[in-house]
Amino acid sequence: MTETVDLVVIGGGIIGCSVVQHAAQLLPPSTRILLLERGPVAGATSGSCMGHLMVTPDTPQDYAFTRTSLDLWGELQQQEGGFDHNPTGALYLADADEDLELLPTLLEQFRANGATAEVLDGRQLREVEPGLAEDLPGGLYYPGDGVVLPMLACGAMLRVAQRANPNVVVRPGCAVIGFERDGDRITGVRSERGTIRCENVVNATGVWAPDLAELAGQARLPIYPRAGNLAITGHHVSPIRTQLLEVSYLRFAHGAATVDPTRTDDDVGGHAVNMQPQTNGGCLIGSTRQFRGMDKTINHALLRRSLSRAQRYVPAVATAPIVRTWVGLRPYAIDKHPLIGPWPQLRGLWIAAGHEGLGISLAPITGRLLAQQLAGLAPAIDHTPYLPARFAR
Amino acid sequence: MNARILEADVGVVGAGPGGMAAARRLAAAGLQVVVLDEGQRAGGQIFRQLPVGASGHDRIAEPPSHEHGHRLIEHFERAGMDRRHGASVWDARPGRLWFEQGGESWLLRCQKIVLAPGAYDRVVPFPGWTLPGVMTAGALQVMVRGFGVVPGRRALVVGSGPLLLPTVASLVSAGVQVVAALEASSRWRALRALPAVIGNGARRREALWYAKKLLLAGVRLRWGWTVFGCEGDGRVQRAVIGKVDRAGRPRRDTARAIDVDVVGAGFGLVPSVELGLHLGCASRHDAARGGHHLVVDDAQRTSVAGVFAAGEICGIGGAEVAMAEGELAAAAVLHELRGAPIDAALRRAVAAERRAADAMLAAFAPMPGLHELASPDTIVCRCEDVTAQRARAAAALHGSSLRAVKMGCRAGMGPCQARICGPSLQAIANARPDEVMDRPIVQVPLKVVRSETIVDAPRD
Ligand SMILES: Cc1cc2nc3c(=O)[nH]c(=O)nc-3n(C[C@H](O)[C@H](O)[C@H](O)COP(=O)(O)OP(=O)(O)OC[C@H]3O[C@@H](n4cnc5c(N)ncnc54)[C@H](O)[C@@H]3O)c2cc1C
Ligand SMILES: Cc1cc2nc3c(=O)[nH]c(=O)nc-3n(C[C@H](O)[C@H](O)[C@H](O)COP(=O)(O)OP(=O)(O)OC[C@H]3O[C@@H](n4cnc5c(N)ncnc54)[C@H](O)[C@@H]3O)c2cc1C
Repeated sequence: MTETVDLVVIGGGIIGCSVVQHAAQLLPPSTRILLLERGPVAGATSGSCMGHLMVTPDTPQDYAFTRTSLDLWGELQQQEGGFDHNPTGALYLADADEDLELLPTLLEQFRANGATAEVLDGRQLREVEPGLAEDLPGGLYYPGDGVVLPMLACGAMLRVAQRANPNVVVRPGCAVIGFERDGDRITGVRSERGTIRCENVVNATGVWAPDLAELAGQARLPIYPRAGNLAITGHHVSPIRTQLLEVSYLRFAHGAATVDPTRTDDDVGGHAVNMQPQTNGGCLIGSTRQFRGMDKTINHALLRRSLSRAQRYVPAVATAPIVRTWVGLRPYAIDKHPLIGPWPQLRGLWIAAGHEGLGISLAPITGRLLAQQLAGLAPAIDHTPYLPARFAR
Repeated sequence: MNARILEADVGVVGAGPGGMAAARRLAAAGLQVVVLDEGQRAGGQIFRQLPVGASGHDRIAEPPSHEHGHRLIEHFERAGMDRRHGASVWDARPGRLWFEQGGESWLLRCQKIVLAPGAYDRVVPFPGWTLPGVMTAGALQVMVRGFGVVPGRRALVVGSGPLLLPTVASLVSAGVQVVAALEASSRWRALRALPAVIGNGARRREALWYAKKLLLAGVRLRWGWTVFGCEGDGRVQRAVIGKVDRAGRPRRDTARAIDVDVVGAGFGLVPSVELGLHLGCASRHDAARGGHHLVVDDAQRTSVAGVFAAGEICGIGGAEVAMAEGELAAAAVLHELRGAPIDAALRRAVAAERRAADAMLAAFAPMPGLHELASPDTIVCRCEDVTAQRARAAAALHGSSLRAVKMGCRAGMGPCQARICGPSLQAIANARPDEVMDRPIVQVPLKVVRSETIVDAPRD
């Protein structure tokens, strides 16, 4: 017997879960929605990352994109909670003098978007975060950022979806292995447990999105795995309470020039340390950036670099017990913008992938924008920069 | 920073019976040996010694086989080698062991590695298992034998497998009254172990010694019984005990309460395989041997060249197996480094000990029904305070694997890295009556170490 549904979402990471949530909330409750996930829900990138909810003020578009998404995170906290949502604010830390030069620009960007932020000297920094080293020259404090535990947030999104729509089915441990088509439109997907008839399919498979596109007979999407090393300390030892990151991050992370994903050496794109307090009293320390395919072995040199930079900013880290380290793979889209919307060359195929290091922050707005397009509703913000059509031939 | 680098012919991890037997033989043959062990003194789990200078009561009575062990410790401590206690190995590659000792970061470069890191207690959560006064049989042994502490006056010992007897014996000789000793496995299952015990001289003597010890203390071992829960105000004061069926499921109608002030629960052991898996050694799952263990050939060679293994890491088997395998591993190392022939008697000894151990442990293979002892609000993961109910909800939404349960509720991700909660999370994930464990995903650091230990690790 063939199963029939209205919408299949492939990929149970934070993006797929958010798409399911917003589709369940915006489409009629009779809509049958099926999430197919090859492994466990949150078992891939969304279970191997940090949970910084970050506002990027580089341009008004970036600001609207991230800020709207963070507001939706706040709504999810109201509706469901249970994912360690913590409005910590963020400190951008300078070390060298050339870092200090970045601070006024950043401040100006926040202000231009009507947001409050402050540039602080070393003494003021330690008032916000007493664990910081005494000789830091300065930094910037933005109170609007926060932290979540992404893998638990995936569960919260799915619970909200199942409450909004009783026809939501979550099927972990079931991979998609092919697509059914009729001319230029999708008629179903083939899964490990049988064929499912459906007219709309969302490819939300992160770093595997190019493989799924190929499986559907389409060109590979320009998304590349970008590895990051992480380390976590034991409980109740976190010397910090704010989300901390090196301001030098801005030189390569978002708006800055794109990098070449075929270069696999250690030095492509920067490695800025990022430290995050956990609600269990631990501290998560990341994070590096390297292209080397799907390889998830720890790069010891880069891990040492992260930890020694962390010790530089927060001296107590030196003696903190490290419990585990691991590698996560960011889905890096070649032009640094995620792909959200229909794929013009195969009707019924949709894409929500390629969020690189901001997928947690951007998950709610991504789900919302995609569901709005599916439902034929007006988008919450200008969605055109993210339309996948820019990569269609 | 001066580089803390050691050079040796052989690096041995673990100073329990397996590691000591290997190291002593290697040192006696004139090789340069470095032994790394987390504990403060040699002996490993079974021949645990009081800390130097500790005043505990005189030696806790021990079965005859322990004489053998104490001789081994004496020889080991007299042999010429570099013994490093308080040394935690946190990263490894063939020929390289990185360790932290006294807050310093070290590297040992060696030609061959012998792994003898032992095992962990298998924990089965039941209501009240986190109350003060309730501990694993292993932890109780450590208190009594390792620190000379008398933990209470009225003890309950529960669990399954040959470790219950030494736990009872230690308590009795420390002057504690053992109110009840409950073995979850049935007498019928245990009868299967009998030929292995009778057929092996050392095991027969040991069983008789324990039987006499229990008889004199008036302790009767009850088969097919276990603990259903512990209660008390601030610490354990009462335990509810009862019968279990053949799968280990509690028969609630048999429950009754007894007054106790200390409880030791030992439901078997889980091999400590992380170091081997990290080195890339092949492993196999065998429930009766405690779960995943390294696969070795007839000379204790793992699948990775230059890496040997002995003792519980090759599957739970006990101290006699560990000593025999340690000797054989040493002979195999000597064969590779010196061309010395491997004495066939060593191979025969290992085969005989393993046969006896396997036959015995088959009677005490983990009983999946015991995981039903936990009630919905019983904590299953102590590090992250996760209840059975939350872990079940995580499995229902995230999938039926250990990893899925972890992702759904953060269980198993704390300092123990699922070494303690793994079996019960796995039972929740499997949601079916078996004991197949997912192979653990191992990452550095293999033991919790300081951030600066990783930063300052000497480059090889
Ligand atoms: C080290 C690191 C730190 C980060 N820190 C942050 C941060 O602080 N803040 C932030 O906002 N973002 C951060 N990110 C980025 C964020 O983690 C990612 O952008 C986001 O998790 C991507 O989610 P996803 O759902 O697209 O991918 P995934 O979580 O990988 O989900 C894709 C899913 O698709 C499944 N799948 C693949 N193929 C198939 C198939 N054939 N059939 C069925 N299912 C399939 C996979 O199993 C997987 O579960 C970080 C990332 C890393 C690596
Ligand atoms: C808590 C406990 C109590 C036990 N009590 C008894 C008993 O009373 N009677 C009995 O017959 N059997 C007992 N056993 C069973 C016992 O494990 C075996 O019989 C025997 O000790 C196994 O020998 P081994 O050499 O394989 O390991 P072990 O004796 O366990 O020795 C392993 C040693 O390696 C060290 N080690 C492990 N990993 C590392 C690392 N990464 N870096 C540095 N050092 C490391 C450990 O600290 C330990 O000292 C007990 C087991 C446990 C876990």
